[in-house]
Amino acid sequence: MAMLPKRVKYRKEMRRVRDRKATKGNYVAFGDYGLQALDGAWVTAQQIEAGRVALAHYLKREGKLFIRIFPNKPISKKPLETRMGTGKADVDYWAARVKPGTMLFEIAGVPEAAAKAALVRVAMKMPIRCRFVGRRVSV
Amino acid sequence: MHENAPVLQATSRPKIGSRYAKRMRDGGKLPAILYGHGQQPLPILLETKATLEHIHKGEKVYTLKIEGQAKDQTVLLKDVQFDYLGTRIIHADFARVDLTERVRTRVHVRFVGEAIGLKTVGAVLIHPTTELEIECMVSELPEHIDLDITGLEVGAEITAGQVKLPTASMKLLTDSHASVAHIVLQKEEVVAPTAEAGAATAAAQPEVLTAKKPGEGDAAKGAAKPAPKK
Repeated sequence: MAMLPKRVKYRKEMRRVRDRKATKGNYVAFGDYGLQALDGAWVTAQQIEAGRVALAHYLKREGKLFIRIFPNKPISKKPLETRMGTGKADVDYWAARVKPGTMLFEIAGVPEAAAKAALVRVAMKMPIRCRFVGRRVSV
Repeated sequence: MHENAPVLQATSRPKIGSRYAKRMRDGGKLPAILYGHGQQPLPILLETKATLEHIHKGEKVYTLKIEGQAKDQTVLLKDVQFDYLGTRIIHADFARVDLTERVRTRVHVRFVGEAIGLKTVGAVLIHPTTELEIECMVSELPEHIDLDITGLEVGAEITAGQVKLPTASMKLLTDSHASVAHIVLQKEEVVAPTAEAGAATAAAQPEVLTAKKPGEGDAAKGAAKPAPKK
């Protein structure tokens, strides 16, 4: 089942600026390996779910998955062949705001080769370029 | 560790600011700052390649040779700044220290052995904390702390307080109840039939906190409306 918030303050939201780089959530924090976004996009709840399913199918019961993004942005869309005006359209789907550098998924408890193979499959489900990363140097 | 502390060649940085720092990075230099011991902070420049080699090895204590200064300084790597992708180091913080001084720093925890619990199908080792904050003398600073997890079973947990520190004079600053390693058993997912799941998603809508309740809107409007001017 696709993810969506339990409660929101407002039904609809403005689009807002999205050409910024990630300053937080841009490193592997919970797992051992992660999938990092290299571009910015709205990743839909359906795409996140597709990634989760692809990973679950590949890893079976091995490893633990952490989904680092959540679709909390309502995206509205007017129906086809509708005249412009008469107010903002209804919410069509929910999306997560992803900036370049955002960590999308993390995996723990599997060897590097398996993690890489699994996350490459997840990357195929994403609408953006992604890369496989490990934990960064700790100081 | 401190006896053969790596030597870093540094020059003072005359121009500070992000624009100049970017130019210096492009020229193969790493901007850094040196502070501590009640002296003025000193912006410096280091050789990127040599410095990063040592940082990636996990070295913390360095001998700094600054151009134009006769005396070498012992410094402790306090912090590093990463770029937006979180992998490239773009700035480093060094603190002036004495070898006999007690400092607060973070040390990486390295797991040793293979846990018994991991032989169970579906068992995963989770380590929310990979480093511990400790207080110790600079001369005693370890590169990493080894933690034996051989006896760890499914459901068992090792907290920061249970980690044996290399020397008795070391003091743990991390919360002693913080989990360092524990083994959890993954549950098999029960996947709902696709058609039902799709229908459920379409029907599901989040609760809107500011939504007007039926009948509330008109009453509120009437109350809020100012009295007409005469």
